[in-house]
Amino acid sequence: MIQFKHVFKSYGRGKNILADINFDIQAGEFIFVSGPSGAGKSTLLKLIGGLEPPSRGSVIVKGQQVHKLSARAHPYLRRAVGVILQDTHLLYDRNAIHNVLLPLEVLGLERSVSLKRARAAMEKVGLAGKEEFNPVEMSGGEQQRLAIARAIVNRPAILIADEPTANLDATSAARIMDVFLDFNRVGVTTLIASHDHRLMAKYARRTMLIEDGRFSDRAGVAL
Amino acid sequence: MNRWLRQHRYALLVALRRLAQQPFSSVANIFVIALTLAVPIISWSILVSAQPLATQLPVNAEITLYLTMDQDDAAAQSLLGQIQAEHGDELASIQHVSPQSAYNDLLNNPIWADALTTLGENPLPHTLILNLADSPEQAAIALRLAEQMSQLSAVKRVQLDSDWVRRLEALLYFGQIALLLLSLSVMVIVIATVFNTVRLQALSQREEIAVARLVGATESFVRRPFLYQGALTGLLASGVAVVLAILALQPLSDALNRLAATYELQVYLRLPDAVSLVLATFMAVLVAALAARWSVTRSTRF
Repeated sequence: MIQFKHVFKSYGRGKNILADINFDIQAGEFIFVSGPSGAGKSTLLKLIGGLEPPSRGSVIVKGQQVHKLSARAHPYLRRAVGVILQDTHLLYDRNAIHNVLLPLEVLGLERSVSLKRARAAMEKVGLAGKEEFNPVEMSGGEQQRLAIARAIVNRPAILIADEPTANLDATSAARIMDVFLDFNRVGVTTLIASHDHRLMAKYARRTMLIEDGRFSDRAGVAL
Repeated sequence: MNRWLRQHRYALLVALRRLAQQPFSSVANIFVIALTLAVPIISWSILVSAQPLATQLPVNAEITLYLTMDQDDAAAQSLLGQIQAEHGDELASIQHVSPQSAYNDLLNNPIWADALTTLGENPLPHTLILNLADSPEQAAIALRLAEQMSQLSAVKRVQLDSDWVRRLEALLYFGQIALLLLSLSVMVIVIATVFNTVRLQALSQREEIAVARLVGATESFVRRPFLYQGALTGLLASGVAVVLAILALQPLSDALNRLAATYELQVYLRLPDAVSLVLATFMAVLVAALAARWSVTRSTRF
C-alpha cells in the first residue's frame, strides 16, 4: 500500500530531515510513527499524503509514485488518503456538519447522500447531535474528532494522523484511538504519528521510530 | 442531476454566500463597476439617438459652381445642359444665375450697394446652382459631384453648401471612435476592480482553499466559486448600469429636446436595442469572469 525507497528529505540546503528511509506498509496495517519532536514524523506523513515532495527517492502510494503524479492527478490521490494534521484546520465560518461535508462536495455527491454520510461519520466519532455546532463551540477533543470525521467521510483507503491526541486528556485520547482502531478493523491502513509512550504501549502493533532523520522499524514494540 | 452540475451548483452557492457575507463591500464593488459601465451606455445612447440627425435635419444640399470670367451666357447654358444630361437623376433642380441677375440682387442689399457702385463694372461670374435630390447618401453624392465639378475647366470654384452634414457625420464617427476607446477603458476598470476583489477574497479564504486541497479538491473546484463571483458581479453591475442609464437619460433627453426644438427637430435619447444591451452585458460578465480567473490563479499559489 505504501512504499518508501531511499527517501531523503531536506528543506533548501539544510541537513536531511529524513535520510535514506526505506519501508513497506501493507494494506490494513495499524502503525505508530514515533520519535522526539522535530525528528521528522510530520514530514514523513506529509510525504505519504503528497503534501510535500521527497528531495530524493521514491514514495509509492497505492502503486503510484506520488512525486511523479501530474498536478491534475494529485487531488485524486489525496482523496484516497485521509489526513488529520496536528492543527485541525477546521473552518470556523461554518458549522460542524458543513466542515464534514466539504470532502463530499468535492466529490459532487448528491446532497441527500452527502448529508447521510456526513451524519454517519459524525456519529462514528461520537459527535451525533452536534451537527449544527460551530467548531469554536466544541472542546479540543471534539474538534479533533470532527477533523477525523472530515478525514474519513469519503472512505479513504489510508488514514494518517499527526499527533491526534496531543493536548487531550487520557479519556479523550482513548476515545480517539478507539475511533482509529474501528476504521482499521474495516481495512483502512492507519498511520499515527505520536510521541505518547503510554498510548503506544496500549495500541501499538507496529512502530516506526525516527530519530535524527534515521529510521528503525519494530513490530509490536512500544518504544 | 449529474456530478458536474452539482459541483457547479455548489460553486454558485458558495459565490452567492461570499457576496452575501460581505454585503457592503459587494454592493460597493457592484456600484463602482455599474457607474463605470453606465458611462459608455449613456454615450452609446446619445450616439445612437444622434445618428438619424444627419438625415432628419432639413438639409437643402446645394452645390454652387462659379464659372470662370471668360464664360458667357451661351457657355453657361451649355454647361447647364451637360450637367443636366449627365447627373439629372441625382439633382432636384439646376438653376443658372447670370452675373447681371446676381449683381441686381446685391444692389438691392444696402450693405453691398455702395461697394458695388464703386467698382464700376460687374465683377460677378455666371453661376450654376445645383440642388440635390433627396437620398440617404445625399452627403456622399454631394461630395462626389463637387469633386467632379471642380475638374471642369469652365468652373473656377465649387462651394458645397452641405459641408456641415459631412462635419456632423465626421463628428459622429469621432464619437464612435471615442466610445470604443471609452469602452476599452471601462473594461480595464472592470478587470482591475474584479481582480482586486477576488484577490482579497482568495487571500481571506486561504484556510478554506488549503483544506479543500487537503481533502482532494481539484484546482477547478477551488477556482470555480471565484469565477462565479466575478461573473455574478459583472451581471449585477450590468443590470444596475442599465437602470442608472435609464434614470440619467430621461432628464438629458428632455433638455436636449428643448434645444433641438429651436432647430425644428425632435431628438429623444433612448437606450440601444435589447440585443446590443444583452451582448454588452455578456461581454461584461465574460470579462469579469476572466479577470476573476486570472486573479484567483495568481492568488492561490500556496
